[in-house]
Amino acid sequence: MATRKVRYKKLSVKTPLGVLRENQIDREEYESLTNEAQIATGVEQAEENEYHLQAVLQSAGVAVDKEIPVPPPQESTLNYDELYARPFSKTSTYIRFSQTVEESVGCMYDLTEDDEVFLKSYNQKRAASAQLSEFDFEMIMEVFEDTSEFKAPFASIDQTIVPYDDMLRYLQDLDRRTKVMPHAKEIYEYWKSRRQALNNQPLHPTLKFEKHQESDEADPFVCFRRREVRQTRKTRARDVQSADKLKRLRKELEDARQLVLAAHNREVLKAEMLKSDRAIFEVRAQLKEHKIRLGIKTDDEDLINQKPQKRKAPDVPTVQRPPLPAQLRVAVRPTHPENDLSIYADRQAEKENELRLDIEKKVLSHTEWNRNHLDLTRGPLSPAPGPRREPGFRPAKTQYLMTPPTSAASDSLEEPTAMDLDKPEEDVDAVFHFRGVTQDQEARKNPPAYRRRIGRLGRLWIDRRGMASPPHDVGAETRDRWKYDESSDEEEDPPKYEVDPFDTNALRFRASIPLPPWMTNRAAVPTARVPLPPPQLPPAVPQLQPPPHPQQSQQPPPQPPVPPLPQNAT
Amino acid sequence: MSPSATHGEPEVGSDGPRQKGKATPDTIKVGCIAQVTKDGQPRRAEILSIKETKSGRQFYCNFDNFNKRLDEWVPVARIDFDQDVEWPNPEKDKQKDTKAKKTAAVPKKAPPSKKAQKKVGKREQSEPGSEGQTPHPWSEFVESQQQSQQNNKTDGEDKANASLELGATPNVASDEMEIDEDETPASAAKKEHAQSFSRDREIEKLRTSGSMTQNPAEISRIRNISKVEFGRNVLFPWYFSPYPEVFSQEDCIYICEFCLSYYGDLTSFKSHRMKCTLQHPPGNEIYRDDFVSFYEIDGKRQRTWCRNLCLLSKMFLDHKTLYYDVDPFLFYVMTTRDEKGSHLIGYFSKEKESADGYNVACILTLPQYQRKGYGRLLIQFSYELSKIEGKLGSPEKPLSDLGLLSYRQYWSENIVDLLLGYSDSQEKCTIESIATRLAMTTQDVEHTLQALKMQVYHKGEHKIVIPEKLVQQREKSKAKQKRIIDPDRIQWKPPVFTAASRTWGW
Repeated sequence: MATRKVRYKKLSVKTPLGVLRENQIDREEYESLTNEAQIATGVEQAEENEYHLQAVLQSAGVAVDKEIPVPPPQESTLNYDELYARPFSKTSTYIRFSQTVEESVGCMYDLTEDDEVFLKSYNQKRAASAQLSEFDFEMIMEVFEDTSEFKAPFASIDQTIVPYDDMLRYLQDLDRRTKVMPHAKEIYEYWKSRRQALNNQPLHPTLKFEKHQESDEADPFVCFRRREVRQTRKTRARDVQSADKLKRLRKELEDARQLVLAAHNREVLKAEMLKSDRAIFEVRAQLKEHKIRLGIKTDDEDLINQKPQKRKAPDVPTVQRPPLPAQLRVAVRPTHPENDLSIYADRQAEKENELRLDIEKKVLSHTEWNRNHLDLTRGPLSPAPGPRREPGFRPAKTQYLMTPPTSAASDSLEEPTAMDLDKPEEDVDAVFHFRGVTQDQEARKNPPAYRRRIGRLGRLWIDRRGMASPPHDVGAETRDRWKYDESSDEEEDPPKYEVDPFDTNALRFRASIPLPPWMTNRAAVPTARVPLPPPQLPPAVPQLQPPPHPQQSQQPPPQPPVPPLPQNAT
Repeated sequence: MSPSATHGEPEVGSDGPRQKGKATPDTIKVGCIAQVTKDGQPRRAEILSIKETKSGRQFYCNFDNFNKRLDEWVPVARIDFDQDVEWPNPEKDKQKDTKAKKTAAVPKKAPPSKKAQKKVGKREQSEPGSEGQTPHPWSEFVESQQQSQQNNKTDGEDKANASLELGATPNVASDEMEIDEDETPASAAKKEHAQSFSRDREIEKLRTSGSMTQNPAEISRIRNISKVEFGRNVLFPWYFSPYPEVFSQEDCIYICEFCLSYYGDLTSFKSHRMKCTLQHPPGNEIYRDDFVSFYEIDGKRQRTWCRNLCLLSKMFLDHKTLYYDVDPFLFYVMTTRDEKGSHLIGYFSKEKESADGYNVACILTLPQYQRKGYGRLLIQFSYELSKIEGKLGSPEKPLSDLGLLSYRQYWSENIVDLLLGYSDSQEKCTIESIATRLAMTTQDVEHTLQALKMQVYHKGEHKIVIPEKLVQQREKSKAKQKRIIDPDRIQWKPPVFTAASRTWGW
């Protein structure tokens, strides 16, 4: 066959292949590909050449029933039916089963030959009634073995033998089921001797598990090692998942608890009902007796038994019943909200809400408390520097002027009075008009007054009232600042400002004010709040009633009598 | 049959010439290779162990190119002392120090294993608190880097170790058929490394792949249980199984047919039988027909039972490991019913999540049920489950000889059936379509097609030819075959495991 030299097309798993019977093509026409590559059998390399395997593989397709020889099994000589006595009944449906071996067996300790001998001699000493059965013996031994395993898991290494006292508790548990205590101590001694004889190994041969000793690795008897726990990445999703799982679990537990509670309630109520039924019955019985004794002969029926009773019985229950469900409901319902587990987030939100409410309440009460209070310290825009903003002005009456200040800065009243020393310059004056709607009126009302006080650093201050203050010596730049205000005055534009609070400038201005609430309040404040001054526009001096300056509105101070006046420093 | 198959390449002690010479029953020792009569024919055999019995000295022999299950204790009479015996060759071992040594079977005579143990111990000391962890170099290497400096010295060693181990090439341990007890310290030191490093690689493989199979280097080479009473049968184990060590001294052990618990003496076995209430595998029945039932059992939930099952099956599976626990596996157990209960026929285990797409980890038909077509049922069932899962499956490697034959038979029968259909309808098929139909991997399909010599190149095209012999064979086996799994009777949904169960070791 020369076809050997032909290069084959690549064969992929997706190549469509024609399928032919052997007799459909001539053997000479094709070339088998099998000699191309060695087939990987998947058998361990070292064993691939094994005689019997090769023998069978070679004969594959030859239809010879070659077999790999194996050690043959035999029939058992033990009595199977005795050993496996329990009959098995076939279920009609597929079996579902989850008990473990331990659960299916019960006592995992099995009587050994040695035990049998011991038990026989042990029982010989005893009366028939006081003998220990094999089963009980196994139970006791199991307690010893289990307790030992639990209390001294490395007993075979460190040679601890668990003392009898430590076994007691577990024995007593067992004793509640079967009486074993009378035997326990003696069996313990036996157990101990057996343990010691076996180098403190468990009495039953056990598998060798890892002990983390040097010999573990190379020991072919050590088996079923624990695998390392795979590290999982801690992700938020997983956290949420586990949280959900826990929540569900708790909820289910809670539901179960409620169910039990409800069932308990129901049973209690049932018992009560039975009790009252019985009471009714007894009363009736008495009644019957009385009737007989007194010879009353009415129809017994409605008083005593049977149908009337039945008619009555429904009566009673119907009286009783409404409370029943009601009680149940009452008992259950309120707890139901509890059923819905409170999530931490909810709790937090609740708490936050509470806090917020509290704060809001406080804010409200605070605003309530501060209703008539105007904080003069808060104005961002003070037309005049410094001393103007003195909230601590206290009224005082003074007739006596100590020293007329010569060049004190003054920013207050525009109204020239008799006491006025320096007529303020007009522009300056105009500026100060802003502030006091009320002041001139006040001033008019009140006679001029003075107050003297000692300020910080022993400075002497004169507070004046009811008079125009000497013009504040405003620097050129400062003066400039008020220029336009003045001009607006001159144009008699105030209403515009009043009417149109949405004027761009006004808006812009207001926007620059740190405490917007004041702005809105302001409209009302100057007119309504201040009790003293009658709301009226001062005709004489151009004033801007609701000027863009917040300061303006704050001018009328809460303290009725005296507006803060400029003072002159000495 | 090729000559090499019949005679086999000398597998036992194949490395170069050995010292030869006469021996006597008294001088012959462990490691010697002698001519031993097996089934009436002389055969080379390595002596793995010697014991004294009442009837005289007995020798445990591993026969050249025979599976280990045929190893046996032979009396002196069966050893041919007229012929030269090949002595174990200590010199040679110096040169081939990359060979892995199996020393577990003869620990006392093997200094390397002791040294290896010491080293393991040292590693463990470096992390005394880690109870749940089996030491293995890589994780320790990582951990050791975070550890305090007091362990510096140990760490250094470990690092060197780890890097070497990681760089190791596979197949180093492929030939371990040798035992040598008198090694010089120098060669021992070299070999110590070789050994630990293949061991560690092996364990690492086990750990990461979740495999239940194992390199022979891990296995004690000498059978420890000679006879097992199991239900109605007496079984003669084939391989070592890590039952309690004291059982090695018992003539016979007793295994409860239903809970698979094991007993060294008849009294306790009887006592157990009085109490045991199990009458079927402790899981859910997922399949039932007139002959067999299948039960699904979770290794984590039925730990005792599944461990017992593994111990039992280990006696008949060479490449099974019980190194790690059974938690990550599901066990599909096939039983037959009678008036006493559901009797275990065989089973296969399956990883809950197989990284390599295996649908079977270990598979076994108990010897008393072998050659009755049950293996085929097990295999079919495993593929039916894969079909339900919508996955292509393949058994985990290595296969045993018997496993390979069973699988080949199943594969070829099913592929031939399928191909006959294609051939009749004159359709073309692809390897992929065969794989999908049978839930087999494409590699397995190709493997089978090649093994059966069905792939041909004809007129410039790849084609499949169905040999007449196979067709006839198939018809014959069809006539014989009475049992198959009826997929409609399977009541099963692929179990789902959460990330959490994975985290907590299934």
